[in-house]
Amino acid sequence: MSEKRNVDEFLDLWFDDKKIEQYKMPIPENPMVSKLSKLFRVLKTDAQDEIFVSIEDYYSRQETSKKLTKRTIVTLIILLLMSPLTIAFGILFMGDRKYTFIGIMLMFYAIIPFFMGFESRKPQTRELIVIAVLSAIAVLGRTAFIMVPMFKPILAIIIISGVTFGPEAGFLVGAVSMFISNFFFGQGPWTPWQMFSAGIIGFVAGVLFRKGLLKRTRVSLCLFGFLAAIFIYGGIMNPAALIMYTSHITIEGIIGIYISGIPVDLAHATSVVIFLWLISKGMIEKLERIKKKYGLLV
Amino acid sequence: MEDNFSSYHPVISFFFFLFVICVSMFLMHPVFLAISFFSAFSYNLILYGIKKTLKNNLLFILPMMIIIALANPMFNHYGVTVITYLPTGNPVTLETIIYGIAMATMFCEVLLWFACYNEVMTSDKFIYLFGKIMPSISLMISMTLRFVPMLRNHMRVIANGQKCIGRDTSNGKTTDKIKNGVKKVSILTTWALENAIDRADSMRSRGYGLKGRTAFSIYRFDKRDRAILIVMILLAITFFVGNSTGNCYVSYDPIVKVKGIPLDLYSCITFLSYLTFCMLPVIVDLYDKYKWKALRNNINKKENRGYRLWT
Repeated sequence: MSEKRNVDEFLDLWFDDKKIEQYKMPIPENPMVSKLSKLFRVLKTDAQDEIFVSIEDYYSRQETSKKLTKRTIVTLIILLLMSPLTIAFGILFMGDRKYTFIGIMLMFYAIIPFFMGFESRKPQTRELIVIAVLSAIAVLGRTAFIMVPMFKPILAIIIISGVTFGPEAGFLVGAVSMFISNFFFGQGPWTPWQMFSAGIIGFVAGVLFRKGLLKRTRVSLCLFGFLAAIFIYGGIMNPAALIMYTSHITIEGIIGIYISGIPVDLAHATSVVIFLWLISKGMIEKLERIKKKYGLLV
Repeated sequence: MEDNFSSYHPVISFFFFLFVICVSMFLMHPVFLAISFFSAFSYNLILYGIKKTLKNNLLFILPMMIIIALANPMFNHYGVTVITYLPTGNPVTLETIIYGIAMATMFCEVLLWFACYNEVMTSDKFIYLFGKIMPSISLMISMTLRFVPMLRNHMRVIANGQKCIGRDTSNGKTTDKIKNGVKKVSILTTWALENAIDRADSMRSRGYGLKGRTAFSIYRFDKRDRAILIVMILLAITFFVGNSTGNCYVSYDPIVKVKGIPLDLYSCITFLSYLTFCMLPVIVDLYDKYKWKALRNNINKKENRGYRLWT
């Protein structure tokens, strides 16, 4: 066990920039070192092989990583500048199509910070692949029950991954699986809405679990799944449908579409509850085992 | 069916669909609607052939159109030209009916464009475009796309294995069926996760994520792409300038007001630039076919003079 850990740490040291911060050593004030690093610089090939990185390079890189990364700046600009601008532009120039325009753009702005945050964190390869596998299972679940309308296990799997791997992974599994399954079901103006609402369910599941409000018991998960399917998924997708198909948004219209959506939402929520009841225990155990076995730090 | 426009650089296709879908989603002028609908439909014909296009549209899009066109006058009651009254006492107006039809056309043409988008912008092109901005996310997306068929195949293997030891899901009591189904899902999950970790380790030991590594791509931005990009940008600028002068203004509330008809010079230029832009893939493809035919004719002529390239 300890030997395996040593190998792991060694690999982390070489491959992950993040991990190196843990092994911070004082810079030796030795003329030999600077000479050696110069030598290494000469040895550096055009391909910039990471093995020949000098110590100075390492420390300079650490300094830059403390500053705001480009992605953080982009995210901030989007949040603070772009969204008010978009709303203003939509109201001023879009006329009767303003709701569609503003809605879709805001959905994109809501998704982008999560993606950018994940990117700038430089995720481990293992983490990346586990999220991809979970999304693939969710997509498979959605395509397997293609014949039964609104009977989809996709939200159940998203909630489970949010609970086991944290809010960020929950959001990513939700957004990616909705995006990918629309490659099979057909992309359309509804894609950003679905991505966001499925993602936010995974995110909320993760946050509530960390806060201790959501337990890993069947009853608790089923209750959350039921509420999330009706209030979050239905709550976002019903007005989205209204916004996509009409342009005169009235309070009566919103109430009407919520009422007409109740049977569909109930069917959807029931399917989520059934799947959570059936698979949650086994899935969570398996995911926990994988986490423990391979030391995934999530 | 592979058309010529799909063989252009992904930037070109993405720019084209971004422009066309955004514009057709937000402009409600009847001429724009007609242009966009016509070009989307003809591009669908090129991509899918007559039979499949008609089948897709008659089955899904036409009923959708009728529902949307009918729903608008039922629930909205603005406008001044009252035609009749609903049993609930609300008026049905000409404006809402016309707007409903425009809305239905808009929705339908967006769906048609998305049908083309699904065929032209394949996932590898999408990942190529976004691989530089979001490398991890696009890798994740491409891996998920790979895992879906892989897991589906493995599910079949598991199902066959379970069938052999008597845990079949196709017959037996319902509780047994569900129990066996859950068991299969759990086996699949374990296998998929273990397989994923192996894959991650294998990727890492081959140097994934190191500095200076590039991604494989077969796309090249050549002269042809540059030419069409310039044409597209010019047309887009003409369109936006023409549109911003207010020649293509339309309003459905309280009365239907359409500018730009009858055609004057400015609106004509705007409409023409939009038509050319939307028809670019069709034009490119037809020109390509024409050229191919002409070249073959040339060869046939040469054959008569003694050359024989093929029979």
